Amino acid sequence: MRIGSAKQSYAADAALFDTRTQQAWALFGLLTLLAFPFIASEYWLYLACLVAINIASAMGLNILTGYTGLVSLGQAAFMGLGAYTVAILQLRYGTPLIVNLLAGGTVAMAAGVLVGLPSLRVKGLYLAIATIAAGVIAHFAFSHFAALTGGTSGLSVPPAQVFGRELDTTFELYWVIVPVTLLLLLGAANLFRTRIGRAFIAIRDRDISAEVLGIPLLRYKLLSFAISSFYAGVAGGLFAYFFRAVTPESFPLLMSIFFLAAVIVGGMGTVLGSVLGAVFMTLVPELLKIVVGWFAADGSATPVLAPIRTVVFGALIVLFLIFEPHGLAEMWRRARRVFHLWPFRT
Amino acid sequence: MSIKKRELMALGLAAAATMALAPLAHAQKAAPKAAAPAEDIVFGASVPLTGVFSFAGIAIDAGIKDYLTILNEGGGVKGRKVRYVAEDTGYKVDQSMAVFKRITGQNKVSLYYADSTGFVKTVNPELERLGSVLMTGASFAKEISNADKYPMQFMVGPDYAEMVTILLRYIAQTKPGAKVALVYSDTEFGRDPVDAARATIKSLKLELATEIVTAPGSVDVSAEIVKLRRADPDFTIFHGYVSAPIPEFINQAKSLGLKSQFMGTFWSMDNTTVMKMGPAADGFLGVMPYRYYYDTEGKSPMLERIRKMRPEYQTSGYMQGFLAAMLLTEAAKRTLDNGNELNGKNMKLALSSIRNFDTGGLIGVPLSIKGNSIPIGRIYKADFKAQKMLPVSDWINLQ
Repeated sequence: MRIGSAKQSYAADAALFDTRTQQAWALFGLLTLLAFPFIASEYWLYLACLVAINIASAMGLNILTGYTGLVSLGQAAFMGLGAYTVAILQLRYGTPLIVNLLAGGTVAMAAGVLVGLPSLRVKGLYLAIATIAAGVIAHFAFSHFAALTGGTSGLSVPPAQVFGRELDTTFELYWVIVPVTLLLLLGAANLFRTRIGRAFIAIRDRDISAEVLGIPLLRYKLLSFAISSFYAGVAGGLFAYFFRAVTPESFPLLMSIFFLAAVIVGGMGTVLGSVLGAVFMTLVPELLKIVVGWFAADGSATPVLAPIRTVVFGALIVLFLIFEPHGLAEMWRRARRVFHLWPFRT
Repeated sequence: MSIKKRELMALGLAAAATMALAPLAHAQKAAPKAAAPAEDIVFGASVPLTGVFSFAGIAIDAGIKDYLTILNEGGGVKGRKVRYVAEDTGYKVDQSMAVFKRITGQNKVSLYYADSTGFVKTVNPELERLGSVLMTGASFAKEISNADKYPMQFMVGPDYAEMVTILLRYIAQTKPGAKVALVYSDTEFGRDPVDAARATIKSLKLELATEIVTAPGSVDVSAEIVKLRRADPDFTIFHGYVSAPIPEFINQAKSLGLKSQFMGTFWSMDNTTVMKMGPAADGFLGVMPYRYYYDTEGKSPMLERIRKMRPEYQTSGYMQGFLAAMLLTEAAKRTLDNGNELNGKNMKLALSSIRNFDTGGLIGVPLSIKGNSIPIGRIYKADFKAQKMLPVSDWINLQ
């Protein structure tokens, strides 16, 4: 049982890692991330980068949907805006990576504010439908402003450059993608220790009460959209550098649904939920593929077993929603509680 | 003893974690490559066995496997067996890329089949960086036929623009000055040949009657039919669809008395796909780069072999996979024959040396490879009564 963690100040109480055990685990996690590229194969490195990009975008959506209670299906469109901005800047001007990523985030943020305007009038499913429009408009823009976007065939993105060195391997990109995602996660975790973050939560819990308490809904709802789309824009920028090809079909509506599912499965309104949800949604299909591979070692049964894998993945999501509606983050918390209170039972 | 719901979930999670860690450990063990015997040539593939393109992916997979079986039974490539390693991608670019990374990470891959245009574009820088793989795939996008931009790739047939050009040449021959309508989906696939088609229509002195853009898949086409009726084209070319909404177009157009001849490109030209459109599909024309499974015209030993191996009808996706395997391994064979190392550049050079190559009847004329595409095709017409697509032109070679 964990004892002796009494807090002496408000700052200590509000710390992100408030016990020595947590700090030790955080350090262990960081060291693991540092060591991972040196021990993992190219395939696992690729998946690590993909997971990190998905975490960044899922975190953005969780700020909007999980913390502020505004359902959005426009996340893929904002990622697309970020990706195209980065691709155009890199291709035409060769500007530095960090500038491009920030520009990608900013362009997506501006679009997010525009798309967020209906949120002042509509909520829930109505808002979700309104945000779908963002995807439709973005797709139209990507396909039709060919002089800028390359039209339907899209753009091939030159490799990112840092201090004159081209980042064209997964190993090199890992050192950009993972730190940027960690920074975004740190930013999100800190956001909810501030007035802004608490205002988001107040709006989610009861927007009328929040307004009565002095929270201007217009400003905070749009701010939530802005921050969320900024995250999506940066994630889109990382996507552009990672895949090196950006087309109008790279960011379909299905991608927005993927992120919404990640947030729900992971746990709405938690930073950890965004991480676990994105990891689950990205890695479980891959792991199922590996398991199916064991049963179809010679490849002959693969065409038969492949559809079963899809069904199992779908069933897993449904089971999670039934048995753990608070998501993976809640399971994690419960597991932690067992260790905290051991040998006593909860 | 009763097990609580939450305990059950915890058990499940523990099992999932074990499953998750086991492959990682496995991957690490397998990290030093070339677990395969040194003499094997590895043929990797990202194939869509699930998802929207699975109808073609399963057939392509079967075609590749069958050709490699025939090849290996005959001694392989200069005595080296070709080992096929394929995984499902669900027709998603990120998964295709993951499959590529996994297969190339665990095997010394020389030949690779790619499942989509998106993947082909995404993997291109990686291919150039690796330098060891020659790739072909399911994409016929015009952009891929640029050999400077895609130096380690090629396509097993004409690109989409060339397919439309073959159709337009046929039109110009059968009815000079004809009015042509273009109907395409609002996708990268659909829009790919449009600019080239406009230019070819002009150069062949045909008339562009109208252009209609629709969403892909089953959509209401009533408004588009009105537009088509007003334009009254002699020929209507569909591109960017597999089936829907082509049957809707044809049915409604015929009920309105339109006399236009309807045409399609490769992915909408499989015999099963066309016959599923129903009686209205009778007379449907289109371009096909390969012979159909049942085609007995001329000498075609490879088609006969396929019919022996698989007595039931095989789709055009199967033929595409079969020919892809044939050409990739031919490039490997020529590279080894020249005493060169088996890498992407050498294999591409060897592939480009192919002249008057006999595909055993899969393509009706000997083929020569000069760029990234093989611009050969033939016009086939649907005979609904015979339930067959039958040739109505000779092979048209754009080279």
